[in-house]
Amino acid sequence: MKYTIDSCFRVTSLAKLAGPLNPIRAFLLLLGILLSAPFLRAQKIDDASVPDKQTLQLLLQRIDQLEARVRQLEAEKHPAAVATPSPVPAQMSAPPATEGEQQQAETAEPERMDVSKTLLRMRGFGDITFHGDSQKGDTNSFSLGQLNLFITSDISEKFKFLSEIVFEGGPDNIFGATRGENNTFGVDIERMVLQYSHSDFFKLAVGRYHTAIGYYNTAYHHSTWFQTTTGRPFLFQFEDRGGILPIHTVGASASGLIPSGHLGLHYVAEVGNGRASRDPITEEPVQNVVDDQNHKAFNLALFARPDAVRGLQVGFSAYHDLLAPMNSPRIGESIFAAHAVLIRSNYEWLNEALVVRHSPDGTPRVFNTPGFYTQVSKQFGSYRPYFRYQYVNASNTEPIFPDVGLRHGPSFGIRYDASETVAVKLQYDYTALRAQPGVSALALQVGFTF
Amino acid sequence: MPRLAGLLFILASAVFSIAALSYAFAPDPGRLPEPQNASEQNLAIVVNVSNPISNLSMSELRKIFLGERSHWPNGRRITLVMMEAGQPERAVVLRDICQMNETDFNNHFLHGVFTGEVLVSPKTLATPVGVRKFIFNVPGAIGYLRVSDLDSTVSVVRIDERGPEDKGYKLHVPPRSPK
Repeated sequence: MKYTIDSCFRVTSLAKLAGPLNPIRAFLLLLGILLSAPFLRAQKIDDASVPDKQTLQLLLQRIDQLEARVRQLEAEKHPAAVATPSPVPAQMSAPPATEGEQQQAETAEPERMDVSKTLLRMRGFGDITFHGDSQKGDTNSFSLGQLNLFITSDISEKFKFLSEIVFEGGPDNIFGATRGENNTFGVDIERMVLQYSHSDFFKLAVGRYHTAIGYYNTAYHHSTWFQTTTGRPFLFQFEDRGGILPIHTVGASASGLIPSGHLGLHYVAEVGNGRASRDPITEEPVQNVVDDQNHKAFNLALFARPDAVRGLQVGFSAYHDLLAPMNSPRIGESIFAAHAVLIRSNYEWLNEALVVRHSPDGTPRVFNTPGFYTQVSKQFGSYRPYFRYQYVNASNTEPIFPDVGLRHGPSFGIRYDASETVAVKLQYDYTALRAQPGVSALALQVGFTF
Repeated sequence: MPRLAGLLFILASAVFSIAALSYAFAPDPGRLPEPQNASEQNLAIVVNVSNPISNLSMSELRKIFLGERSHWPNGRRITLVMMEAGQPERAVVLRDICQMNETDFNNHFLHGVFTGEVLVSPKTLATPVGVRKFIFNVPGAIGYLRVSDLDSTVSVVRIDERGPEDKGYKLHVPPRSPK
């Protein structure tokens, strides 16, 4: 019987040799030997034919001791393997000696299929502003900005869901025409995208997304916290806040890298419903469910992020749609945009220019609305002073947005990062208008993420 | 204009007060590790053993660690493994590969996920053992370990054709502080 116990000792020694990193493996080896023990013992029984109860008792005690030792080893190892919560569902287990790649790949799947767990990850953004301006009729006000619930879900290795659900106060302002009442809140699904990621060279997204016109629109979405300034440049203002661009598109977008070495070329190709063009103009400007015509809007963007200049992005985009306002001829809409931005940790310089071109059918006249902005900022510790100049010039007879006109002027301010998730901004804007007195405005905003 | 000037004064006062108070009580932001010394170890970049990648340029590595590359050439999605904030290994990666501080790195990923350009945030693990196990279990994972923490369950990737044992290797980590 001593022979059997010695076997156990040898196994224990082997387990020790295997090291504390592999207790489960050691336990399995131990278990295998222990299971074979009855056979070894049976041989002895044949020899002696008298059961030795005392030895059996010793053996059982030894098993208990060994099991306790395995538990102790596992307990010692467990705290070391504790990980912080992660967005990547993956199972942690000790490396089994014979486990292959296929088995490894399956480790992430069970959590996705576990209906008792949610796959949603949520992040919130919000802002509150106190502002006033010199325009007649305007009052100094505290304003609740957008409450943005940003939700993502890692559906599978290739598919991801992303959405922005935004609560914001009215009224809406569509090309100067107001819609809705003051101080009432509404809910918008600003983005709802299912992304398929085949490789770095091809990604496909379907749903409602920000149109890849220029840089700002896809770099900054519905959160002021990310932005240096208190708001978007006028050129990239949202459709329901007086903006002139089709900021949102419902459709499909393909994007990816273009093999180009150190040049870092990227492409974006989009097709979607485009903006609403029928009267009344105060209808929802984004065609979320029904397109008002069969023609689709197209957009193609190319940009480069060269390795040689870290943080530099230069690119251009071309957008085309056909608008069909009621009781007037169809209008071809083309938008050409170019940008050059340099963004580093403590410095940013954004430059974008675009032209919106409307060409009504049956007339030789073409309406060009040019616009640009430049923005520069520099970080000093928690402070980031910034300056922006913006310009847009629409004809008074522009067929789609006649109320925009000419507006241009500087903005300057300072952003103070009170913590990693809270930013306080103070901004002054001066906007010169065509045939109207200029408007000075001041805003103090606190933007945050939670 | 007087109304505007009054408003400006009130707002400026408010901002200054908040800034002054916050500055007075602000914690010291995360600092990069102390300068290198002779007793430093090398930090190895490691991937799953099934990953055929054996060499990466520093530029490629940077893109991977910033989430600008989301797939390996074999189509497998890249899962980045980082150690917790405050660990010297992480600080070395942020300094030498990402060239960012902790705040910028976190904001970069938050922004990347928000724009949709970054598919997933890094997986954060507490210990080298955790990193090793995770990389063993996830075929697309990439992370980093001190040379002394390496074993056969992970595969080491050379950087610019240099392995951690080679002269001129760029990633060095300070020795662990005694417990």
